[in-house]
Amino acid sequence: MSDHVPARATDREPVGGGALPAVGLAAEFLAFLKNRPSFLAGYMIVIGMAILGLLAPFLPLHSPVDADASAYLLPPNLSHPMGTDSAGLDIFSRVLHAPRVDLAIALISTGWAALVGMALGSATGLWQGRRGLKGAGAVLMLRIADIVQAFPVFALALVLVAVLGQGVASIVIAIGLVNIPIYLRLMRSETLAIRQHGYVEAARIAGAGDTYVLVRHVLPNATAPLLAQMTINTGVAVLLAAGLSFLGAGVRAPTPEWGSMIAMGFQSIVTGQWWPSIFPGLALALTVFGLGRIGASIQAWSDPRERLRPARRAWKAFLAAEQGEALP
Amino acid sequence: MDKVFPTPVGSISRRSLFKLGAAGGALAMAPGFVRSAYADDRAKTLVIAAPATPLSLDVENSLSIGTIDTVAAFYDYLIEFATIPDPNVPGVMREDLTPNPSLPGGYNLKGKLAESWDFAPDGKSVRFVLRKGVVSNWGNPLTANDVKYTFDRKFEVKGAGAFMTNVMGLANKDAVVVESDHVVSFHLDQPNPILMIVCGHLANPIFDSVKCKEMATADDPWSRKFLDTNVAGFGPYNLKQIQRGQQMVATARPDYYDAKPFFQTVVFREVPASATRLQLLKGGAVDIAQALAPTEMKSLAGSDKAKVTSVEASQMLWIELNTAFKPLDNPKVRQALNFAMPKDEIVKTILQGFGKKQTAFMPEFYPGATSEFYDFDFDVEKAKALLAEAGFPDGFSTTLAYNAGDPIEEPIAIMYQTALKKIGVTIELKKLPAGTFFDSVTKRSEPMIFLLDAPFTPDAGFALNLYFYSGSFLDFSNYKSPEVDALIKKSLSTLDTKARFEATKQAQKILYEDAPWALIANPGFQLAHKPDIGGIVYYTSNRLNFQDYKRV
Repeated sequence: MSDHVPARATDREPVGGGALPAVGLAAEFLAFLKNRPSFLAGYMIVIGMAILGLLAPFLPLHSPVDADASAYLLPPNLSHPMGTDSAGLDIFSRVLHAPRVDLAIALISTGWAALVGMALGSATGLWQGRRGLKGAGAVLMLRIADIVQAFPVFALALVLVAVLGQGVASIVIAIGLVNIPIYLRLMRSETLAIRQHGYVEAARIAGAGDTYVLVRHVLPNATAPLLAQMTINTGVAVLLAAGLSFLGAGVRAPTPEWGSMIAMGFQSIVTGQWWPSIFPGLALALTVFGLGRIGASIQAWSDPRERLRPARRAWKAFLAAEQGEALP
Repeated sequence: MDKVFPTPVGSISRRSLFKLGAAGGALAMAPGFVRSAYADDRAKTLVIAAPATPLSLDVENSLSIGTIDTVAAFYDYLIEFATIPDPNVPGVMREDLTPNPSLPGGYNLKGKLAESWDFAPDGKSVRFVLRKGVVSNWGNPLTANDVKYTFDRKFEVKGAGAFMTNVMGLANKDAVVVESDHVVSFHLDQPNPILMIVCGHLANPIFDSVKCKEMATADDPWSRKFLDTNVAGFGPYNLKQIQRGQQMVATARPDYYDAKPFFQTVVFREVPASATRLQLLKGGAVDIAQALAPTEMKSLAGSDKAKVTSVEASQMLWIELNTAFKPLDNPKVRQALNFAMPKDEIVKTILQGFGKKQTAFMPEFYPGATSEFYDFDFDVEKAKALLAEAGFPDGFSTTLAYNAGDPIEEPIAIMYQTALKKIGVTIELKKLPAGTFFDSVTKRSEPMIFLLDAPFTPDAGFALNLYFYSGSFLDFSNYKSPEVDALIKKSLSTLDTKARFEATKQAQKILYEDAPWALIANPGFQLAHKPDIGGIVYYTSNRLNFQDYKRV
């Protein structure tokens, strides 16, 4: 990958003065979502899943981890709305409890990968091109990222879990590690772009150091693409965690987790018992879809053209109507 | 010179017309002919969908599932059990395991490579007279040297054979003596009541010594590499092809000395997913689908495409309670863990009624096995009381490892975990990849670990020696009892059947008190096959036997 500093057509205004107050911003964001139902659906799905996951232990559900031999592989019924699996576990209860594990794994692994990746990426972006240890460190970090990214993400995560041992902590570490280079590269390119801007140069002339430039100028301006990337990555992390569990390298049974539930149930599909794997599969697909839409919404929000599209459309419609009225 | 009339271009000569007619006729008949030939071939071809092809074709290298299922097709044994109709499943035969002191060798045996045998009254020697006119798949005639070579190889290779020679009581290579071309004798220091039946053990096939010696090299004097992927035996089939991970093809030998097998060709295809094996069987692409999950077998009930033949078998499924780990070193704790196992529910649900709950430390139908002292039916109160007596009134925590490759172990583990919560015991479930699972078993590195296994030789003393004799390579629970060791030794060194079985009974009584296993189930032996497959015989090695099967 080239280390060339990407040129920008126009300098962006630094975030700060002139920004809308928080309430105004929220109202604008809600209005933005109102005009984009698929984005809104994404938020509703993910927030809904998170709420269900949080409330699941307090709802009158069957235990998600205690087997009931008398309820072996029952099809969906009134007592078990999503049926039971081959250990007599209630699918409905497990599907509702699973976000606690799946979303927690995804959020924590994405969070720590983003934090480390951002720190390394901003350092790489600021130090790149300098002489001495800092310059060499930037190059070294990029080469390490190259090596990590040379491996297929899933295979690398699988190996890491095999080395670290089965368990939630291992999955969080593995998924985080494979994601760090993504944030490193993103942050580096943002930093390289931002450091060229006039306001950064002005700050430098005024005597600002790396930390000041980073905190005051780079981080605020790189937030939107980073947030979008994090949301997309959270969806990927959910899939990755489910994939690892599906292969038996994920959480320990009988922890409610969508991937392990699919793995436990998919064998039964051929004999007609579709419910142990279909319901967790649907929940997983919905959540990943929701996270994908949230990522897309943040990308769209950070793009002024896209954000103002409905307003422009309304303005055009208004103009057209005006012209129509003007006609005899 | 004859005048040659040129044939006009585009016209047809008489000869051409005949040729054309013949070709047309052949073409018209061809589809039916080809179809009929194909049908004949298919009828005489047995296609098996198995979870794995053999890891090795040499029993000294591996006794994996694929090896167990295929080795008896290529190799014959000195003797084998005579068969009798299965009392519970019409149309199925099984080995006659009943000891009969009035018969030579003490059992109802049938000669295979051995035509006759003299088992010494003191039980310290046996003399086999070999069948004449038997040739190997390489065309070499059977001689006493082949038997000698087979057992010498066991002493040298030190694989599974080392265990076999020990169980047979062969002290060293000199214990096997070639008396003449077709007479060979075994000499022991101690009487061995099971010597004869161990000779028929799956891991004791007779090798073609001439071919093996021909393939030996300085680095590999016992032809291990050659026998890994080739065969040199006196069995009914020859190896045509083996591609590990794909398929193995065997063809019937026209020069086999005994009854010729019905199936001329056997295709043993590796199909790792049981759901796919089931679909192949339902679709008619295979004749036998091995190792289906219980729910898959249950789904064949009422099907006209396939059926399941299920018989009582030597397979046992249990949990090793490793006595080297605390608090599993306490017999009362181990008993409590047995009382907390919901065996009936597991058989009814996860095993779908195939098999039965395990009530003995060996297959119940083995001579000398007893469940007289069994008292481990699910009882939470008893389990709690035992834990309290053991000093764990609030329970304890430990881990239970299971095999990711066996689809029934995880649900059983979850069911057991739930049951153990009722007595305050918390177990963390540890899923081990199939590839490393047996490493963990043999290293005895887990406090509790599942095991699905069977003692192939149907004798109580053999089974006890295998799993409970101190230091046995299959004593995975690290169980040590000098009293049990003495009783096992006694049972394997006296010819008096009553005394033997009294010793094994006493040993089993101690085992029920010491409870080194958490008993679960005897899953039985199930064969899912097309309805037109017959001739099924059950062997205690739980193997397939291609030569038995036929279309009915």
